Amino acid sequence: MTTGQRSTDLSLGTATSWWRRLLLFARRLFSSPTSAIGATITLLFILVAILGPFIAPYGANEIIASDARQPPSSTHWFGTDNLGRDVFSRVLLGAGEILLLAGLGTLLAVIAGTLLGLLAGYRGGIFDEVIMRVFDSLLALPALLLALLLLGTVGRSQNSVLIVIFVVYTPIVARVVRSVVLAVKSQGFVEAARLIGESQAYILLREIMPSVLPTLSVESALRFSYAIFLVASLGFLGVGVQPPSPNWGLMVKEARTYASQIPWAIIFPAAAISIVVIGINLLADGMKRVLQATGNE
Amino acid sequence: MFSNLENAAKKRSVHVAVLLLAIALLIQACASSPETAPTPAEVTERQGVLRVAMQPIVQLDPAFISSDPEVIVANSIYDYLVDVTPQNTIAPRLAREWTVSEDGKTYVLTLVENATFHDGTLFTADDVVWTFNRLRDPDVDSPTKNLYSNIENIEATGKFEVTFTLIESNPFFLFDLSDNHALVLKADTPVPGSDFNGTGPFKIASYSPEDRLVVKANEDYFDPERPKLEGVEFIFFNDQVAQVEALRGGQVDLVMLLSADLFNTLIGEQGIIPLEAATNSFDVVRLRADRPPGDDPRLMQALRLATDRQAIFDLVLQGYGAIGRDNPIGPMYSQYYSEDTSLPERNVAAARALLAEAGFPDGINLELHTPDTANRPNLAVVLKDQWAEADINVEVFVEPESVYYGNNGWLVVDLGITGWGSRPYPQFYLDTMLTCGAIWNESHFCDSELDRLAKIAGTTMNEEERVEAYNQIQTMLIERGPILVPYFFSQLGAISEKFTDFQMKPFPGRSDLSQVRLAAQ
Repeated sequence: MTTGQRSTDLSLGTATSWWRRLLLFARRLFSSPTSAIGATITLLFILVAILGPFIAPYGANEIIASDARQPPSSTHWFGTDNLGRDVFSRVLLGAGEILLLAGLGTLLAVIAGTLLGLLAGYRGGIFDEVIMRVFDSLLALPALLLALLLLGTVGRSQNSVLIVIFVVYTPIVARVVRSVVLAVKSQGFVEAARLIGESQAYILLREIMPSVLPTLSVESALRFSYAIFLVASLGFLGVGVQPPSPNWGLMVKEARTYASQIPWAIIFPAAAISIVVIGINLLADGMKRVLQATGNE
Repeated sequence: MFSNLENAAKKRSVHVAVLLLAIALLIQACASSPETAPTPAEVTERQGVLRVAMQPIVQLDPAFISSDPEVIVANSIYDYLVDVTPQNTIAPRLAREWTVSEDGKTYVLTLVENATFHDGTLFTADDVVWTFNRLRDPDVDSPTKNLYSNIENIEATGKFEVTFTLIESNPFFLFDLSDNHALVLKADTPVPGSDFNGTGPFKIASYSPEDRLVVKANEDYFDPERPKLEGVEFIFFNDQVAQVEALRGGQVDLVMLLSADLFNTLIGEQGIIPLEAATNSFDVVRLRADRPPGDDPRLMQALRLATDRQAIFDLVLQGYGAIGRDNPIGPMYSQYYSEDTSLPERNVAAARALLAEAGFPDGINLELHTPDTANRPNLAVVLKDQWAEADINVEVFVEPESVYYGNNGWLVVDLGITGWGSRPYPQFYLDTMLTCGAIWNESHFCDSELDRLAKIAGTTMNEEERVEAYNQIQTMLIERGPILVPYFFSQLGAISEKFTDFQMKPFPGRSDLSQVRLAAQ
């Protein structure tokens, strides 16, 4: 058997089995009501984030002066805020921003964290020591404190929020990945690959990575929900994205001063944060359950 | 694979999310729950402790105080020579009467003879001389040094008589003597501000920084009728919502400097009296005139044309105040205020055309800096929306006041929103904000015609001449000035109905607490 043939076989086999596995995974996920709810909520919010700009009846910062402070009605489903902006549109349009910021930040953190975690776990030694001690020192600070500190130094903008998510979550992902690598790297199939003389990159990506993936996917979902919370918190504290952005946290902050007068301006964005975070957490729970069951088979 | 720690953390995050929703609902529920007012007891002399909620104070030396909380504390412990009434007239305090020479250069003040400092020493003219010499001393570098640079000499012409001699005549000098910083200290005080040794209606009882400052009635106050309270507690809150909730909950009795939104929530609340005071306070939207892009006055004109003042007034102020006319002379100065020059109507097309003429045919991008206090963030958001229609795209930066004013950053940025407090007469704004090289000339504007008119208005003893000069200044600023003044806002506050005789002044920190007393049942 030549190397060329083997790789063709593998790629063919992977394509079909991946699809099959994904379907199986989805079926198992939806077999439990809680994880089905979580997955539905998450999908719904992602859908809203994508379609928001097309279905929002008004612009995020469109001020309808004559309609300020209106309670929910058929024209303004979630009412209007103190400046006459449509709360429904702002919540819809805010979904895109918060999911994109949190999603992109999480993605970057997961990629960097996975790479560093794989290398640190597999190579060990001084490389491992240095990276992990640096990460430990970052983890010693509460996430929000670290975020505030970073925003103080890099200034406030969407990009800085992205950097904050990246810096805050990379160490956590790296730690989780490293712990899986440590458990796997002494096992027979890894030893065998090393003896055959496979390259380090091949061993890491083809031999070890598949074992890391289940944990990593759950961890990513969790980080994603935390990141949403972080973006909203920074908005609420007024240090993240700047007004008039329809950031849900910022909306809650702005609406706080007149909460008793126009409660709808605070309830809907607050509910959006809560629901999406709960949804993603339920999904992560379900993913964990399904992946563990698959692993045990 | 999954540590307990992660599971716990995940559950916590669900809990936090649920909690957030609960809190949002709770805030709203609490906010609308009715309060019952406690019944005040039988009222006799010097009774009751007024609890005032306000931002923490930082500066204790009267020569350097600036915020309302700092001024209200100082105004309780120390005395001014004269006070300004809410009707903008001069009222006696430590100076019981005065004479002004015809040329407006010599002011002779007769002082009260029975005032003592809290340490027991008698108050005399020497204390006044020392205090004002300090305020104008360039080495002390108080913000008043320019205000008092016109003083040629200060002399004690009797044990209880002081004579101020001016270089140029100043019709507003009595108002200047009542500047926020001009509280009389004991002569030769080694570290001013540290010992709270004033002649004022209240004496210091305790001060715990960032928590509270407590004062008790000065039994030896020169006016035996005052104060009418046993004492005052200034309780520090960083958060305005918390201040209002404390008022509702009966933990404090007086809040001031409220936003319109918070103020509205208090209207109709049982046991609470809403307070509104018309003022000449305003927010200035200004563009640096000394460098591109603002050095082309057409840009400022375009900003003005793109602004819908009525919408801003309704949305941002919710009607508490007056619409501004792009100059600091507001309707409160009834004798000087003029509507002779009409403001241009909003015209987006004309704004675009002007922008194109100024070299920005495709619109312009600007950064708009604003402090995070009062209505300024809302103003910034509404302006962004209105200007966007004329292709003037601004990115809003909302900064804490300490950042906005820190390191004089506000004097550097091109486009900013700055709040200006109410003053008893308009000359102050011209001399500090708009004349060439003025100390707070944030727009870096310099126009010889304005300087000439401001000089006339500020020195002539002829009232008609002054009215004319102020009229011309208003016209000039509307036509080519560097500032946009969208509104003058009212000061809003609220007091518990347990207290009476509180009159909120346009500069709330100058409100007189020595008149306040417990309400009779």
